[in-house]
Amino acid sequence: MLLEGKNALITGCARGIGHALMTAFAREGANVWAFARKESASFMEDCQALSQRHGVWVRPVYTELTNEAARKAAFAQVLADKQPLDILVNNAGIMGEDRLFQMTSEAEMRSIFDVNFFALLEVTRFATRLMARRSRGAVVNIASVAGLDGDSRIDYSASKAAVIAATQKLAREYAGQGIRVNALAPGYTDTDLVSGLSQKVRQETLARILLGRPADPMEIAQVAAFLASDRASYVTGQTWRVDGGIL
Amino acid sequence: MSNLNKYVDAFAAALEVAPDQVPSLVYGESPSWDSVGHMTLVARLEDAFDIMMEMDDIIDLSSFEKGKEILRKYDVDI
Repeated sequence: MLLEGKNALITGCARGIGHALMTAFAREGANVWAFARKESASFMEDCQALSQRHGVWVRPVYTELTNEAARKAAFAQVLADKQPLDILVNNAGIMGEDRLFQMTSEAEMRSIFDVNFFALLEVTRFATRLMARRSRGAVVNIASVAGLDGDSRIDYSASKAAVIAATQKLAREYAGQGIRVNALAPGYTDTDLVSGLSQKVRQETLARILLGRPADPMEIAQVAAFLASDRASYVTGQTWRVDGGIL
Repeated sequence: MSNLNKYVDAFAAALEVAPDQVPSLVYGESPSWDSVGHMTLVARLEDAFDIMMEMDDIIDLSSFEKGKEILRKYDVDI
Protein backbone atom coordinates (compact mmCIF):
# COMPACT_ATOMS: atom_id res chain seq x y z
CA MET A 1 0.00 0.00 0.00
CA LEU A 2 1.19 3.45 -0.96
CA LEU A 3 0.70 5.17 2.41
CA GLU A 4 0.90 2.34 4.93
CA GLY A 5 1.61 3.59 8.44
CA LYS A 6 1.47 7.28 7.48
CA ASN A 7 -0.65 9.80 9.35
CA ALA A 8 -2.42 12.40 7.22
CA LEU A 9 -4.38 15.54 7.97
CA ILE A 10 -6.90 16.29 5.21
CA THR A 11 -9.14 19.36 5.19
CA GLY A 12 -12.56 19.66 3.59
CA CYS A 13 -13.41 15.96 3.88
CA ALA A 14 -17.19 16.16 4.06
CA ARG A 15 -17.79 15.83 0.34
CA GLY A 16 -16.41 16.00 -3.17
CA ILE A 17 -12.66 15.70 -3.66
CA GLY A 18 -12.06 15.82 0.12
CA HIS A 19 -14.27 12.82 0.71
CA ALA A 20 -12.48 10.97 -2.07
CA LEU A 21 -9.11 11.95 -0.58
CA MET A 22 -10.08 10.57 2.82
CA THR A 23 -11.30 7.36 1.18
CA ALA A 24 -8.25 6.93 -1.07
CA PHE A 25 -5.77 7.64 1.72
CA ALA A 26 -7.44 5.16 4.10
CA ARG A 27 -7.51 2.57 1.32
CA GLU A 28 -3.78 3.10 0.82
CA GLY A 29 -3.14 2.44 4.53
CA ALA A 30 -2.97 5.97 5.97
CA ASN A 31 -4.52 7.06 9.24
CA VAL A 32 -6.49 10.27 8.71
CA TRP A 33 -7.51 13.30 10.72
CA ALA A 34 -10.53 14.15 8.59
CA PHE A 35 -11.30 17.85 8.97
CA ALA A 36 -14.83 18.92 8.13
CA ARG A 37 -16.82 22.06 8.80
CA LYS A 38 -20.08 20.65 10.10
CA GLU A 39 -20.71 17.69 12.35
CA SER A 40 -22.97 15.06 10.80
CA ALA A 41 -23.98 11.50 11.58
CA SER A 42 -23.36 10.37 8.01
CA PHE A 43 -19.82 11.73 8.00
CA MET A 44 -19.13 10.04 11.32
CA GLU A 45 -20.43 6.76 9.86
CA ASP A 46 -18.23 7.19 6.78
CA CYS A 47 -15.16 7.65 8.98
CA GLN A 48 -16.01 4.60 11.07
CA ALA A 49 -16.66 2.47 7.99
CA LEU A 50 -13.33 3.43 6.44
CA SER A 51 -11.52 2.67 9.70
CA GLN A 52 -13.06 -0.79 9.94
CA ARG A 53 -12.70 -1.65 6.27
CA HIS A 54 -9.03 -0.69 5.96
CA GLY A 55 -7.67 -1.29 9.47
CA VAL A 56 -6.69 2.33 10.00
CA TRP A 57 -8.11 5.15 12.10
CA VAL A 58 -10.06 7.95 10.45
CA ARG A 59 -10.93 10.59 13.03
CA PRO A 60 -13.40 13.34 12.24
CA VAL A 61 -12.29 16.78 13.42
CA TYR A 62 -14.94 19.48 13.10
CA THR A 63 -13.79 23.04 12.70
CA GLU A 64 -14.34 26.33 10.92
CA LEU A 65 -10.91 26.93 9.41
CA THR A 66 -11.41 30.67 8.99
CA ASN A 67 -12.02 31.10 12.72
CA GLU A 68 -8.74 31.28 14.66
CA ALA A 69 -10.11 29.93 17.93
CA ALA A 70 -11.91 27.04 16.23
CA ARG A 71 -8.83 26.26 14.18
CA LYS A 72 -6.63 26.15 17.26
CA ALA A 73 -9.10 23.87 19.02
CA ALA A 74 -8.91 21.49 16.06
CA PHE A 75 -5.11 21.56 16.12
CA ALA A 76 -5.24 20.79 19.85
CA GLN A 77 -7.24 17.65 19.04
CA VAL A 78 -4.53 16.54 16.62
CA LEU A 79 -1.79 17.23 19.17
CA ALA A 80 -3.70 15.37 21.89
CA ASP A 81 -3.43 12.19 19.83
CA LYS A 82 0.38 12.29 20.26
CA GLN A 83 0.92 10.87 16.79
CA PRO A 84 3.44 12.15 14.26
CA LEU A 85 2.08 13.98 11.24
CA ASP A 86 3.47 12.78 7.89
CA ILE A 87 1.11 14.31 5.34
CA LEU A 88 -1.04 17.40 4.98
CA VAL A 89 -3.56 17.74 2.18
CA ASN A 90 -5.02 21.23 1.99
CA ASN A 91 -8.27 20.63 0.19
CA ALA A 92 -10.92 22.84 1.83
CA GLY A 93 -12.12 25.46 -0.59
CA ILE A 94 -15.10 27.41 -1.86
CA MET A 95 -15.96 28.72 -5.30
CA GLY A 96 -19.36 30.40 -5.56
CA GLU A 97 -21.40 31.03 -8.66
CA ASP A 98 -19.62 31.94 -11.85
CA ARG A 99 -19.95 35.69 -12.41
CA LEU A 100 -18.23 38.65 -14.01
CA PHE A 101 -15.61 40.73 -12.21
CA GLN A 102 -17.84 43.82 -12.19
CA MET A 103 -20.51 41.79 -10.40
CA THR A 104 -18.21 40.40 -7.73
CA SER A 105 -18.08 42.33 -4.48
CA GLU A 106 -14.98 42.91 -2.39
CA ALA A 107 -16.63 41.06 0.49
CA GLU A 108 -17.13 37.97 -1.69
CA MET A 109 -13.54 38.11 -2.89
CA ARG A 110 -12.24 38.38 0.66
CA SER A 111 -14.34 35.47 1.88
CA ILE A 112 -13.02 33.25 -0.93
CA PHE A 113 -9.44 34.22 -0.12
CA ASP A 114 -10.09 33.62 3.60
CA VAL A 115 -10.94 29.97 2.95
CA ASN A 116 -8.92 29.11 -0.14
CA PHE A 117 -5.71 30.90 0.77
CA PHE A 118 -5.35 32.29 4.31
CA ALA A 119 -6.84 29.29 6.11
CA LEU A 120 -4.66 27.02 3.97
CA LEU A 121 -1.57 28.91 5.09
CA GLU A 122 -2.51 28.67 8.76
CA VAL A 123 -3.10 24.92 8.55
CA THR A 124 0.23 24.62 6.73
CA ARG A 125 1.96 26.67 9.43
CA PHE A 126 0.71 24.22 12.05
CA ALA A 127 1.48 21.06 10.08
CA THR A 128 4.95 22.00 8.91
CA ARG A 129 5.96 22.83 12.48
CA LEU A 130 5.11 19.24 13.45
CA MET A 131 6.81 17.81 10.37
CA ALA A 132 9.94 19.87 10.98
CA ARG A 133 10.44 18.14 14.33
CA ARG A 134 11.08 14.89 12.46
CA SER A 135 12.66 16.50 9.40
CA ARG A 136 10.23 14.89 7.01
CA GLY A 137 6.77 15.33 5.59
CA ALA A 138 4.71 16.02 2.50
CA VAL A 139 2.18 18.74 1.78
CA VAL A 140 -0.24 18.58 -1.13
CA ASN A 141 -2.24 21.71 -1.88
CA ILE A 142 -5.37 21.25 -3.94
CA ALA A 143 -5.27 24.20 -6.32
CA SER A 144 -7.15 24.30 -9.62
CA VAL A 145 -6.51 24.71 -13.33
CA ALA A 146 -8.31 28.03 -12.80
CA GLY A 147 -5.21 29.17 -10.92
CA LEU A 148 -3.14 28.49 -14.04
CA ASP A 149 -5.58 29.41 -16.79
CA GLY A 150 -7.68 32.12 -15.10
CA ASP A 151 -10.85 30.64 -16.52
CA SER A 152 -13.14 30.79 -13.48
CA ARG A 153 -14.50 33.69 -11.43
CA ILE A 154 -11.78 36.18 -10.64
CA ASP A 155 -11.51 35.64 -6.90
CA TYR A 156 -11.49 31.85 -7.16
CA SER A 157 -8.90 31.88 -9.97
CA ALA A 158 -6.70 34.39 -8.14
CA SER A 159 -6.93 32.49 -4.84
CA LYS A 160 -5.81 29.29 -6.55
CA ALA A 161 -2.98 31.14 -8.33
CA ALA A 162 -1.94 32.35 -4.89
CA VAL A 163 -1.94 28.75 -3.65
CA ILE A 164 0.33 27.74 -6.53
CA ALA A 165 2.77 30.59 -5.81
CA ALA A 166 2.72 29.74 -2.10
CA THR A 167 3.43 26.11 -2.96
CA GLN A 168 6.62 27.14 -4.74
CA LYS A 169 7.73 29.42 -1.91
CA LEU A 170 6.96 26.80 0.76
CA ALA A 171 8.82 24.14 -1.23
CA ARG A 172 11.91 26.35 -1.29
CA GLU A 173 11.64 27.16 2.40
CA TYR A 174 11.06 23.61 3.65
CA ALA A 175 13.23 21.52 1.34
CA GLY A 176 16.11 21.81 3.81
CA GLN A 177 13.88 20.38 6.51
CA GLY A 178 12.91 17.31 4.49
CA ILE A 179 9.40 18.53 3.71
CA ARG A 180 8.09 18.35 0.14
CA VAL A 181 5.36 20.74 -0.95
CA ASN A 182 3.40 20.25 -4.17
CA ALA A 183 0.14 21.40 -5.66
CA LEU A 184 -2.40 19.54 -7.68
CA ALA A 185 -4.56 21.40 -10.16
CA PRO A 186 -7.79 19.54 -10.89
CA GLY A 187 -9.81 20.47 -13.92
CA TYR A 188 -13.56 20.05 -14.21
CA THR A 189 -14.42 17.54 -11.49
CA ASP A 190 -17.81 16.08 -10.75
CA THR A 191 -18.48 17.69 -7.33
CA ASP A 192 -20.93 20.02 -5.64
CA LEU A 193 -18.40 22.80 -6.09
CA VAL A 194 -19.19 23.08 -9.80
CA SER A 195 -22.94 22.64 -9.40
CA GLY A 196 -23.34 26.44 -9.66
CA LEU A 197 -21.99 26.46 -13.22
CA SER A 198 -24.51 27.11 -15.96
CA GLN A 199 -25.30 24.42 -18.54
CA LYS A 200 -23.62 26.56 -21.19
CA VAL A 201 -20.37 26.82 -19.19
CA ARG A 202 -20.45 23.08 -18.49
CA GLN A 203 -20.78 22.27 -22.19
CA GLU A 204 -18.04 24.71 -23.16
CA THR A 205 -15.75 23.26 -20.51
CA LEU A 206 -16.35 19.66 -21.56
CA ALA A 207 -15.66 20.59 -25.19
CA ARG A 208 -12.12 21.65 -24.19
CA ILE A 209 -11.30 18.37 -22.38
CA LEU A 210 -9.58 15.73 -24.53
CA LEU A 211 -11.08 12.89 -22.51
CA GLY A 212 -14.51 14.48 -22.99
CA ARG A 213 -15.80 14.04 -19.46
CA PRO A 214 -15.39 15.50 -15.99
CA ALA A 215 -13.04 13.82 -13.51
CA ASP A 216 -14.37 11.50 -10.88
CA PRO A 217 -13.14 12.87 -7.51
CA MET A 218 -11.31 9.59 -6.91
CA GLU A 219 -9.18 10.25 -10.01
CA ILE A 220 -7.94 13.43 -8.32
CA ALA A 221 -7.44 11.72 -4.96
CA GLN A 222 -5.29 8.96 -6.45
CA VAL A 223 -2.81 11.48 -7.84
CA ALA A 224 -2.75 13.29 -4.50
CA ALA A 225 -1.97 9.99 -2.75
CA PHE A 226 0.96 9.44 -5.08
CA LEU A 227 2.31 12.97 -4.54
CA ALA A 228 2.01 12.50 -0.77
CA SER A 229 3.77 9.13 -0.86
CA ASP A 230 7.46 8.28 -0.70
CA ARG A 231 7.25 7.21 -4.34
CA ALA A 232 7.20 10.92 -5.18
CA SER A 233 10.28 11.53 -3.03
CA TYR A 234 12.00 13.63 -5.74
CA VAL A 235 9.00 15.82 -6.52
CA THR A 236 8.66 19.19 -4.82
CA GLY A 237 7.55 22.71 -5.72
CA GLN A 238 5.46 21.42 -8.63
CA THR A 239 1.89 21.90 -9.75
CA TRP A 240 0.43 18.86 -11.44
CA ARG A 241 -2.54 19.31 -13.73
CA VAL A 242 -5.12 16.54 -13.47
CA ASP A 243 -7.56 17.83 -16.03
CA GLY A 244 -8.32 15.12 -18.58
CA GLY A 245 -6.22 16.94 -21.14
CA ILE A 246 -7.00 20.64 -21.52
CA LEU A 247 -4.55 21.81 -24.20
CA MET B 1 17.57 14.99 31.94
CA SER B 2 17.08 18.47 33.42
CA ASN B 3 15.25 21.20 31.52
CA LEU B 4 18.52 23.13 31.22
CA ASN B 5 20.25 20.16 29.61
CA LYS B 6 17.35 19.64 27.21
CA TYR B 7 17.42 23.36 26.38
CA VAL B 8 21.17 23.39 25.70
CA ASP B 9 20.95 20.17 23.67
CA ALA B 10 18.20 21.65 21.50
CA PHE B 11 20.35 24.70 20.70
CA ALA B 12 23.49 22.63 20.12
CA ALA B 13 21.75 20.15 17.81
CA ALA B 14 19.70 22.72 15.88
CA LEU B 15 22.53 25.20 15.35
CA GLU B 16 25.35 22.65 15.14
CA VAL B 17 27.55 24.21 17.81
CA ALA B 18 29.29 22.78 20.88
CA PRO B 19 27.22 22.89 24.09
CA ASP B 20 29.72 25.24 25.78
CA GLN B 21 29.18 27.80 23.00
CA VAL B 22 25.40 27.81 23.34
CA PRO B 23 24.96 30.42 26.15
CA SER B 24 26.53 33.19 24.07
CA LEU B 25 24.41 32.59 20.96
CA VAL B 26 22.48 35.50 19.46
CA TYR B 27 20.24 35.31 16.39
CA GLY B 28 21.98 36.56 13.26
CA GLU B 29 25.41 36.70 14.89
CA SER B 30 26.16 33.00 14.72
CA PRO B 31 26.69 31.67 11.17
CA SER B 32 24.33 28.74 11.75
CA TRP B 33 21.61 30.79 13.46
CA ASP B 34 20.07 32.12 10.27
CA SER B 35 16.39 31.91 9.33
CA VAL B 36 16.60 28.20 8.47
CA GLY B 37 18.51 27.45 11.68
CA HIS B 38 15.93 29.45 13.59
CA MET B 39 13.04 27.28 12.46
CA THR B 40 15.07 24.15 13.14
CA LEU B 41 15.69 25.47 16.65
CA VAL B 42 11.96 26.14 17.15
CA ALA B 43 11.19 22.58 16.02
CA ARG B 44 13.77 21.15 18.45
CA LEU B 45 12.50 23.23 21.38
CA GLU B 46 8.86 22.35 20.66
CA ASP B 47 9.72 18.69 20.46
CA ALA B 48 11.90 18.73 23.58
CA PHE B 49 9.27 20.44 25.75
CA ASP B 50 6.10 19.27 23.95
CA ILE B 51 4.83 22.78 23.28
CA MET B 52 3.60 24.83 20.31
CA MET B 53 5.02 28.35 20.36
CA GLU B 54 3.00 31.37 19.26
CA MET B 55 4.24 33.26 16.22
CA ASP B 56 5.20 36.34 18.28
CA ASP B 57 7.37 34.15 20.51
CA ILE B 58 9.07 32.59 17.50
CA ILE B 59 9.94 36.08 16.28
CA ASP B 60 11.11 37.17 19.75
CA LEU B 61 13.39 34.17 20.22
CA SER B 62 16.58 36.10 19.61
CA SER B 63 19.09 34.72 22.09
CA PHE B 64 19.78 31.87 24.47
CA GLU B 65 18.70 34.03 27.43
CA LYS B 66 15.57 35.37 25.71
CA GLY B 67 14.54 31.81 24.95
CA LYS B 68 14.48 30.96 28.66
CA GLU B 69 12.15 33.88 29.28
CA ILE B 70 9.85 32.83 26.44
CA LEU B 71 9.66 29.20 27.58
CA ARG B 72 8.45 30.33 31.00
CA LYS B 73 5.21 31.37 29.26
CA TYR B 74 4.74 27.71 28.39
CA ASP B 75 5.37 26.60 32.00
CA VAL B 76 8.90 25.48 31.20
CA ASP B 77 11.41 26.66 33.80
CA ILE B 78 15.01 26.45 32.73
